Amino acid sequence: MSAAEAAAAPARRALPGAPLAGVAGLLVVWEALARLPGAEVLLAGPMAVALWLGENGALMARALAVTGAEAAAGFALGNLAAVALALCAVAWPRAERLIAALALLVFCLPLVATGPILRVLYGPGPGPQVTLAALAVYYTTFVPLLVGLRAAPAAWFDVVASYGRGRWAEILHVRLFAAAPYLVAGLQIAAPAAFLGAMVGEFTGAERGMGVLTIRALRALDVEATWALATVAALVSIAVYAAIGAAGRRLLREPPPVLLAPPGAGGGARPGAALGQAALAGGVALALWWGAMEAFGLNAFFAKRPGDVWAFLVTDPGAAAHRAELFGALADTLALAVPGYLAGLAAGAALAVALTLAPGAAAVAMPVAVALRAVPIVTTAPLVVLLMGRGAAGTIALVAVMIFFPVFVAALHGLARAPGQVLDVFESYAAGPLRRLVHAQLPAMLPAFFAAARMSLPAAILAVTVVEWLATGRGVGALMAISASLSDYAMLWSAVVVVALATVAGHALVAAAEARVLARYAGEQRR
Amino acid sequence: MPAEPGPPGISCAGLAKRFPAAGGGLEVVAPFTREFAAGATTALVGPSGCGKSTLLRMIAGLETPSAGSVAIGDETPAEVRARAGLAVSFQDPSLLPWRTVRGNVALALTLARRRAAAGTIDRLLALVGLEGFAGTRPGALSGGMRQRAAIARCLVTEPELLLLDEPFGAVDELTRRQLAHDLPRLWEARGTTTLFVTHSVTEAVLIADRVLVLSPRPARVVADIPVTLDRPRPEGVELTVAFAELAERVSAALARGAAEGGQTGLAAQ
Repeated sequence: MSAAEAAAAPARRALPGAPLAGVAGLLVVWEALARLPGAEVLLAGPMAVALWLGENGALMARALAVTGAEAAAGFALGNLAAVALALCAVAWPRAERLIAALALLVFCLPLVATGPILRVLYGPGPGPQVTLAALAVYYTTFVPLLVGLRAAPAAWFDVVASYGRGRWAEILHVRLFAAAPYLVAGLQIAAPAAFLGAMVGEFTGAERGMGVLTIRALRALDVEATWALATVAALVSIAVYAAIGAAGRRLLREPPPVLLAPPGAGGGARPGAALGQAALAGGVALALWWGAMEAFGLNAFFAKRPGDVWAFLVTDPGAAAHRAELFGALADTLALAVPGYLAGLAAGAALAVALTLAPGAAAVAMPVAVALRAVPIVTTAPLVVLLMGRGAAGTIALVAVMIFFPVFVAALHGLARAPGQVLDVFESYAAGPLRRLVHAQLPAMLPAFFAAARMSLPAAILAVTVVEWLATGRGVGALMAISASLSDYAMLWSAVVVVALATVAGHALVAAAEARVLARYAGEQRR
Repeated sequence: MPAEPGPPGISCAGLAKRFPAAGGGLEVVAPFTREFAAGATTALVGPSGCGKSTLLRMIAGLETPSAGSVAIGDETPAEVRARAGLAVSFQDPSLLPWRTVRGNVALALTLARRRAAAGTIDRLLALVGLEGFAGTRPGALSGGMRQRAAIARCLVTEPELLLLDEPFGAVDELTRRQLAHDLPRLWEARGTTTLFVTHSVTEAVLIADRVLVLSPRPARVVADIPVTLDRPRPEGVELTVAFAELAERVSAALARGAAEGGQTGLAAQ
């Protein structure tokens, strides 16, 4: 094997023992940190966590059963919705852009504010948690599935066409099977996301479950319990992630693709057409919103319509004050979210690049990173608050960590994607690792990097708002918490709308940057 | 065209293809007018990239012509496809990687909404030299074996019209001779109308009743040569003077087409 090939295939060359070594190293570092003098008020090591779990096993098991059931229900519903949406988009290509835009808009809803609204809509019970879990998973399944459904070579469709069969036969005999590995990859990522959604649902006011225990532990400054809860959430997520991956490998005989490049975000469309698409999607979203509220005959006190939000923010006598309050809070939130997001992007890409220059390290780091990506990071928000305090640094760090893992994993896979023959060409000119990196591997990484950057934008907002909701008492997350407790539903709905639109705008901004960069450095890789 | 029982002939009238591109577009197939007799086997020979695949795809109705039309019997290609009356073997074998060889052959029956008598698939796999590989997935086969599986897939629906795009391109020399010997017997017995694209002169003369020589892009007919050898071809026919003369005529026409470029292609001799 040439050096180039070795660099190109870090994941496949991973030794069977590498993940174990990584995990063992992680445990040792964790325990050592916990044993530092003064750390006991912040950090519970693996031993302390194990002890706490031994003493409170029954309590934890009950909470896990509740949260697990909610997550499982949300996982099933969210993924069913994703499959249905993706099939619709493929069956009616004219509707694809509209479906993708609406799916993105719903994905950008701030879960933290959606939770309390769902709670009043559903009444008591697990409804909000299940819905939030479904909302947290469907987009990350929808996007790769759509890619997979479209990924088959044209020649396969010629075979179908040569027997006079049409679109449905294509879907039934070709696309569904071709998309199966992409579906598995989507389901894998969905597992921790469902757990995360269920716990965020519990944060915003449930009776039982691990989210409730987490809030209780945080209020009581119970370090062991907080760490134990985060550990269990992480372990369960990693286990389900691994189980789905293993089942997928058995069923598919080929590894699921890790690179989940979403459909090009309107690449090549004229600005006018894109604007028209956005207007259409916005109009349909408003109609669906209003229609759903009316169809279920929901009480206008808590089930606000588009008109109510418009009045609250624009036409009311107090609209200026409302706007000032909401946008002030949003500015506070963005002041934390943007630096954290950029730091996460930079750290993820930088570490991936550093590891690629030292290929042996990548083989060890990849399995650990893939496992840690499965950790529902937001469930560790209380830990970050414990560790870094309630100031800006803690929040920014949490956002950065939340963004870091998906970007790191995507960048590492992207870097490994530089075609072997291309690398051999570099090798034949005795180009050093740095030149190989700049000219071959970085361009190969860019599409994956940007895909991850776009997909993780709502996660950044989620991370900030959760910390604000739980701990810091500032920003739009805190505003949502206060509005929820004061039953100020007009403000709550307005916050949902404004945050969702801000997230969509951020997404469009990243997509525009992506289009420019890819056109320049990786033109042939655009779809 | 009168409707007659049995396999249909093909009639191409002014069939042309121009791909839109900067500077007036790229003409791939110049207006093409020919009849192909029912039950006959015709080879389309031409240099790589001359547009012969596009011509074949237009006859199958998989590519929309820029001008002209195709009639298969008294039907359009779409109508023939709708009743699974034709089968195409593509340059790329286009096997579905998650189906076994048998599953890929059976796919044609599923798509055609037909059933085959028990043992049909095994017989066809034996004919193309794939006995023992029915349960293998395409990923484990060589390029030539995949191509042979694709040929079996074409034959299983017993189409009236068989369109083969370089069916033996990746097949090794020995197997290719065997197939060139066996397959025409099968489709002659069925009375199938066959069009096949190749760039091998020997293969064309060995298999076809008629050879159309095409010029470099845009494809024009340089020569239309009837192959006057016995059917079925006797053993060792490649070594006969008659065969050599025919092959020489085809080669000469190819060279003439290349020398004149695609611009002034000759009509049939």
